[in-house]
Amino acid sequence: MENTSLKVKNLIKYFHDPTTFQVLKGVSIDVNKGEFLSIVGKSGSGKSTLLYVLSTMDTDYEGTLEINGNILTGKSQNELSTFRNEHIGFVFQFHYLLPEFTCLQNIMIPALKLGKFSPEEIEQKAYESLRLLDLEDHALKKANKLSGGQQQRVAIARALINSPSVIMGDEPTGNLDSLNARAVQDIFKELAKSYGQTIICVTHDNDFARNTDRTIEMKDGLIIN
Amino acid sequence: MKKSVNRQIAQVHLTSKWGQTVVAILGVTFGVSIYIFMNSFMNGVNKTQDDMAFTSMSHIRIYNEDNVHPFNPVQSFYNSSQTLFNIRNRKSIQYSDGIKNTLGIISFLEKQNEVTNVACHLDFSVFFRSGSKKINGLISGVEVANEDKIFNDSQKVIQGNWFDLNYRKSGIILGKVLAENLGVKVNDNINILTSDGISKNLLVVGIIETSIKEVDKSKAYINIASARQILSKNQDYASDILVNIKDKEKTEPLIKRIVPVIPYQVESWQVANQQLVAMTQIRNILAIAVSLAILLVAGFGIYNIMNMTINEKIKEIAILKAMGFSGGDIKTIFLSQAVIIGIVGDILGVLLGYFISMSVNQVPFEIAGLKTLPIQFSVEDFILAIAFGVITTLLAGYFPASKASKIDPVNIIRG
Ligand SMILES: Nc1ncnc2c1ncn2[C@@H]1O[C@H](COP(=O)(O)OP(=O)(O)OP(=O)(O)O)[C@@H](O)[C@H]1O
Ligand SMILES: [Mg+2]
Repeated sequence: MENTSLKVKNLIKYFHDPTTFQVLKGVSIDVNKGEFLSIVGKSGSGKSTLLYVLSTMDTDYEGTLEINGNILTGKSQNELSTFRNEHIGFVFQFHYLLPEFTCLQNIMIPALKLGKFSPEEIEQKAYESLRLLDLEDHALKKANKLSGGQQQRVAIARALINSPSVIMGDEPTGNLDSLNARAVQDIFKELAKSYGQTIICVTHDNDFARNTDRTIEMKDGLIIN
Repeated sequence: MKKSVNRQIAQVHLTSKWGQTVVAILGVTFGVSIYIFMNSFMNGVNKTQDDMAFTSMSHIRIYNEDNVHPFNPVQSFYNSSQTLFNIRNRKSIQYSDGIKNTLGIISFLEKQNEVTNVACHLDFSVFFRSGSKKINGLISGVEVANEDKIFNDSQKVIQGNWFDLNYRKSGIILGKVLAENLGVKVNDNINILTSDGISKNLLVVGIIETSIKEVDKSKAYINIASARQILSKNQDYASDILVNIKDKEKTEPLIKRIVPVIPYQVESWQVANQQLVAMTQIRNILAIAVSLAILLVAGFGIYNIMNMTINEKIKEIAILKAMGFSGGDIKTIFLSQAVIIGIVGDILGVLLGYFISMSVNQVPFEIAGLKTLPIQFSVEDFILAIAFGVITTLLAGYFPASKASKIDPVNIIRG
């Protein structure tokens, strides 16, 4: 079982507003280290909700969550944010950058926070990811001066900066043309294969899903496939 | 390293919204500068008032008041309730007036180590006469050198020389207006007439101008020895003993110590001039109230700006938290913005306060011996102003910052 990267057991989640409504109805998944997993399903089936629980940001659920052998259920917000900083990279469905900061700063901030490397090393690493994602020219632009697709790629670069053991994306290529989407997918594949990083992506893109190691399908808060 | 990220983020927040930051800083700046200006101005006014008051008043005065004695010998003899008695036209016989044993008292006072100067006075009222002019006034018989140490009279003599009183035993120094009204100049003779009907010719050896018009109009100085001679009193006699001490605010402890030893009335300037003390206190309260009100308004301004900023940045705060920033980090980010606003506002406020005060100090104001509006700086006011500036911003920043630190990221990111 040492090979398991992420494990949820019997995950149940309710929303209480406006009426009590069960979004997740007992979800259990095991994801291996270095596995590239995609989650598909109709809009409203609970994919994003599941991903927020997996990312440790949502703590209001029943069931257990374990990442890299750490039981994360019941931990305090501050412990979880420290854990996220080091172990989880997240690309949101609506790519949230800090608008007043440059692309470079946006990418560097999680690494500066972690403080494992010197600012010079971090900057060098950030430039590498920018090059990989074809954003080099925009490094010193403010984030709010970029197109949607460019912002999404910056968000991806930011998710990678701390070399997290788990990278999660909520439709990370939703705003990208097929060429860029392809590039992102290749990067993810490479990270999974060469560095053993676990990738979990929600997607509506069947081509994208077909290119991953495993695809699970959700319907009405349950895994059906 | 961790600290520097938080600081970097705080810095970007401050610099990307220049307008807001400047408004917040100016709020503190005005509060602090008005605090400094108001207090320096009030100190200046207080000092002027004191200086003026202490041109004719010592810190402590010892005198012998002609008490009305309630002692009734008839009543004490017939002390039964059955007796009715009635005294008409009762008069008190004066047993003593003035201070008889001044030498003993002075040598005792000079041994007290807070005492800086002691001087005897012999004051009496007279008519000044010159030709057909006749003006009612007051003569102070003074110990020339000691008197100068307390009141600095030699600086105020505009014609002649204060110390001439020392060897011109029949010399007199007249108040400026009094001399004008009498129509006399230095080296002229005048005549005085006491209430006991004694008349004497004196030689005007100087003219004195104080900042108090009432004094200039009615007062004159002669040597205390001549005064004793005119009143036919012995060499130990005085009407008042004036005492100055090191710190004029600290009359209380000395008075407590000397009252049991000295058989006369001992009065501090605070008691003699309660309205002076009251005015000083009212001015101080006014200065503090006005400047604290301004700081309070500035504090609310900062609070509002910080609150607004945090509402605007709620998404970014959520992102920072999602990326691994803790509640404490978020609090640090926003509090350090408040601290920077406070420090910059403080520095500018001190400079502006100093500048305003110096400018006001140039405004001409030629009344009562002043040339310009008075300003008196004190280190204490500057320190308090800086402290109030920082405390206001910290308080104003604290509540929004702790609100920000409690934001739950998932609810905001979910949209
Ligand atoms: N904050 C919320 N409060 C109440 N209900 C919510 C909330 N967020 C989501 N839901 C509901 O939970 C269900 C699952 O939402 P979720 O966002 O997980 O869907 P999804 O699978 O990610 O859809 P999409 O593909 O459109 O992103 C939906 O029916 C949605 O209406
Ligand atoms: Mg979704």
